[in-house]
Amino acid sequence: MSRSSSHSVLPGFGLSLGYTLVYLSLLVLIPLAGLLAKSASLTLADIWAIATGPRALASFRVTFGASFIAACLNGFFGLIVAWVLVRYDFWGKRFIDALVDLPFALPTAVAGITLATLYAETGVIGEWFAKAGIKIAYTPLGIVVALTFIGLPFVVRTLQPVLEDIEPEVEEAAATLGASRWQTFRRVLFPAVFPALLTGFTLAFSRAIGEYGSVIFIAGNMPLISEITPLLIISKLEQYDFVGATALASVMLVISFVMLLAINLLQWWASNRHRSVPVKDAAALGGAQ
Amino acid sequence: MTVRRANNEPRWMRVLLLVVALGFLALFLGFPLVTVFYEALKKGVDAYLAGLADPEARSAILLTLGVAAAAIPFNIAFGVAAAWAIAKFDFRGKSLLITLIDLPFAVSPVVAGLLFVLIFGSQGWLGPWLAEHDIKIIFAIPGIVLATLFVTFPFVARELIPLMQAQGKDEEEAAVSLGASGWQMFWRVTVPNIKWGLLYGVILANARAMGEFGAVSVVSGHIRGETNTLPLHVEILYNEYQSVAAFASASILALLALVTLVAKTVVEWRMRKETEMLTADLPPEKTE
Amino acid sequence: MSIDIRNISKRFGNFVALDNINLDIPTGELVALLGPSGCGKTTLLRIIAGMESADEGQVLFGGAEATHLHARERQVGFVFQHYALFRHMSVFENVAFGLRVKPRKERPSESEIRKRVMELLSLVQLDWLADRYPSQLSGGQRQRIALARALAVEPKVLLLDEPFGALDTKVRKELRRWLRRLHDEMHISSVFVTHDQEEALEVADRVVVMNKGRIEQVGSPDQVYSNPATPFVYQFLGNVNVFHSRLQGNLWAEVARREDGAGGEGGGAGDSLAFVRPHDIDILREPVPDALGAEVRYVHPIGPVVRVELAHQSELVEVELTRERQEELQLAQGQSVWLKPRQVRVFPAGTVAGEALQDFSI
Repeated sequence: MSRSSSHSVLPGFGLSLGYTLVYLSLLVLIPLAGLLAKSASLTLADIWAIATGPRALASFRVTFGASFIAACLNGFFGLIVAWVLVRYDFWGKRFIDALVDLPFALPTAVAGITLATLYAETGVIGEWFAKAGIKIAYTPLGIVVALTFIGLPFVVRTLQPVLEDIEPEVEEAAATLGASRWQTFRRVLFPAVFPALLTGFTLAFSRAIGEYGSVIFIAGNMPLISEITPLLIISKLEQYDFVGATALASVMLVISFVMLLAINLLQWWASNRHRSVPVKDAAALGGAQ
Repeated sequence: MTVRRANNEPRWMRVLLLVVALGFLALFLGFPLVTVFYEALKKGVDAYLAGLADPEARSAILLTLGVAAAAIPFNIAFGVAAAWAIAKFDFRGKSLLITLIDLPFAVSPVVAGLLFVLIFGSQGWLGPWLAEHDIKIIFAIPGIVLATLFVTFPFVARELIPLMQAQGKDEEEAAVSLGASGWQMFWRVTVPNIKWGLLYGVILANARAMGEFGAVSVVSGHIRGETNTLPLHVEILYNEYQSVAAFASASILALLALVTLVAKTVVEWRMRKETEMLTADLPPEKTE
Repeated sequence: MSIDIRNISKRFGNFVALDNINLDIPTGELVALLGPSGCGKTTLLRIIAGMESADEGQVLFGGAEATHLHARERQVGFVFQHYALFRHMSVFENVAFGLRVKPRKERPSESEIRKRVMELLSLVQLDWLADRYPSQLSGGQRQRIALARALAVEPKVLLLDEPFGALDTKVRKELRRWLRRLHDEMHISSVFVTHDQEEALEVADRVVVMNKGRIEQVGSPDQVYSNPATPFVYQFLGNVNVFHSRLQGNLWAEVARREDGAGGEGGGAGDSLAFVRPHDIDILREPVPDALGAEVRYVHPIGPVVRVELAHQSELVEVELTRERQEELQLAQGQSVWLKPRQVRVFPAGTVAGEALQDFSI
């Protein structure tokens, strides 16, 4: 499509787009390019050496492992929460629905100290697990708890509209065709919500990878065991190791870009997967050329 | 919710799902929320108030409010401009632009902070020049504002772009064809149409601006009474084992989160009402 | 005010929306731009309004150059397909908008605005809805408010984009007549876009039939219906039977060519097409000269007419008879009969696209 904008009768295209691009460039693109340029002053071998150092490698393992487990937990429980919120009626539903966004609204530092207090061996919840011999706070398990907390709304909020959009007729049709409730779920409903579930999972995962505030209080931050990559970047920075920090940050940045791309592809896939009748046929149905 | 017999799980299944969902939410949301206030008030109201009366706490509260107040207008201006260009005009690279706007959400807050340290820090690109002119950005308030601008960057634009795309440009074109000037069209037609979406974006951006920890932590320098925002203040107190004071400050932030949730719910309700009003008798699909 | 459109062309990327359009719209006329989706009619209307600018060509208002005049200064009233009422303003404020945004010097006083708006609202018979909001109105009411709003600024030209497209049949018919009356009372030039042939034929003084970015024919409703200039117009306006003379024994094409002296350029009889309206064919029980033999396939009585489907060799022919005629003929499935046309048009085969044999009627 050509720039039909230049012919538009509405004013302000140049001004608004210009402002958008300038602001975007100054605040986001140039700083990001600066980071990449800085890391370009290192050779790939240098970056590789820093990123595969034992402490860095361990931090990646902790970050990605905990993020993956947390995103899985969120995928599983998020699906149930979304299902319950969309399908069932119960007392206080609206309150609970609003509460799901708490991790978006609650500052991560507050979440961090609260979860650390709760899940410590002396905490209300940690106590119970401690009796079973499971330590949560100040172990990698604590990181999973914090990352589950901050990723929780993503899956639920991505699934809710999709579940709401499913027409009851589809399930009724499945039922009249003799499908059991479980078969209907597995063959009809689950495939319909799967792209949204995957999108929510990826969003939660991507958020978890970069998370810092809520994790550091509960993690224990033991190098090689419970130290996440963002924390490692900060400790390198505090030791004035700008090269190390930059190298790790650019690795994280590249991963972020990949995640963003994946999320975009997933959303595109989810919205285009079941595009109805091809345009040509649709026009024919309309009776005109 | 309508009762659909063919579509309902057996009763035991429903109960089980409900228990699992509510249990999960209680474990991860309910308990933490209650704990903040419980821990803050554990040693009584006096201890709680004492924690808040501390001058450092007060300066942290003021700084947090100030930073948010500085960041929000930028966010509004950018969000409206970006949404106007994207929703009302066609141009090459539009979807790339939309993706780029989302970029700051994908970047770790720590990396976001680092970006500005690399530019403005003493070892950064502009560091020597800034030092020469005695301008402090990193470990000072401008750095905190910059980091906050970065992490809140997409909020307003993200709300407004789909809203304005859905509204189309018919009303603005009608205004122009009736003789309205650009500003008249904008203030009389566009702004009233997007006000709830704008407010929604501002609420989200504000919550993030006041609560941001990672990015601000990198650029702030933690100078007490100067560059310590409320979340950073919470961290310091907690690490000094001043649990009650830490949770007292945290409770302010938690209250803010609750206010955000309520405001968000109210605005969502308003927006849903408006779209319901609009779609109630919506004409069928465009024919051309 | 008259509108002259000269050599207007418009492209969207590779898509040619308008291809060298020339059209004169005299003062006071009500003109319909008629055509299928994507024929460029809305684009042309938007170019007249100044909402869109043409790649080439000129638009003249009352003989004066207006091509580069901003929409704001054209003094046109534009009624949008989906009304584009300001959703957050009351009906009154919607209609008053054009008056309120006038420069301070030209702006009428509050009491004048009030008077003018109420006049317009009673003109569209909706003065009792002044305090409502657009979302509380029915489609037909919204349409009339949109019209009142457009008329508030006293436009010289009224432009309407599919004005009745989104309404149900009954309201649509009512509003059509009402628009016609309104146009006659206001003494302005009006142009409306439609894909509904019945609407165009009923309301307009002149009909401009468009297809694929070109004008196929301009004429009075009667002219375009009875004397279609091109095969497209024939097919777009009403039902039509097309006889391929390529198939052997196309008597009618031969007959019509002899009578008209037309169609010679198409070459031999091998590539002509004969167009006959279903109600322009008579059915006879006995053979006569120039009649085609056919077999009755189905007989459907539909309201006041009887539609008969017949097979002439391999071709399907549709004929419409009056009920009286069917009573005389007593046609039944399987009978052999003869078809005699009252009016035939022949076009060289090259002028008709192969797939153009669809029925465009609604």
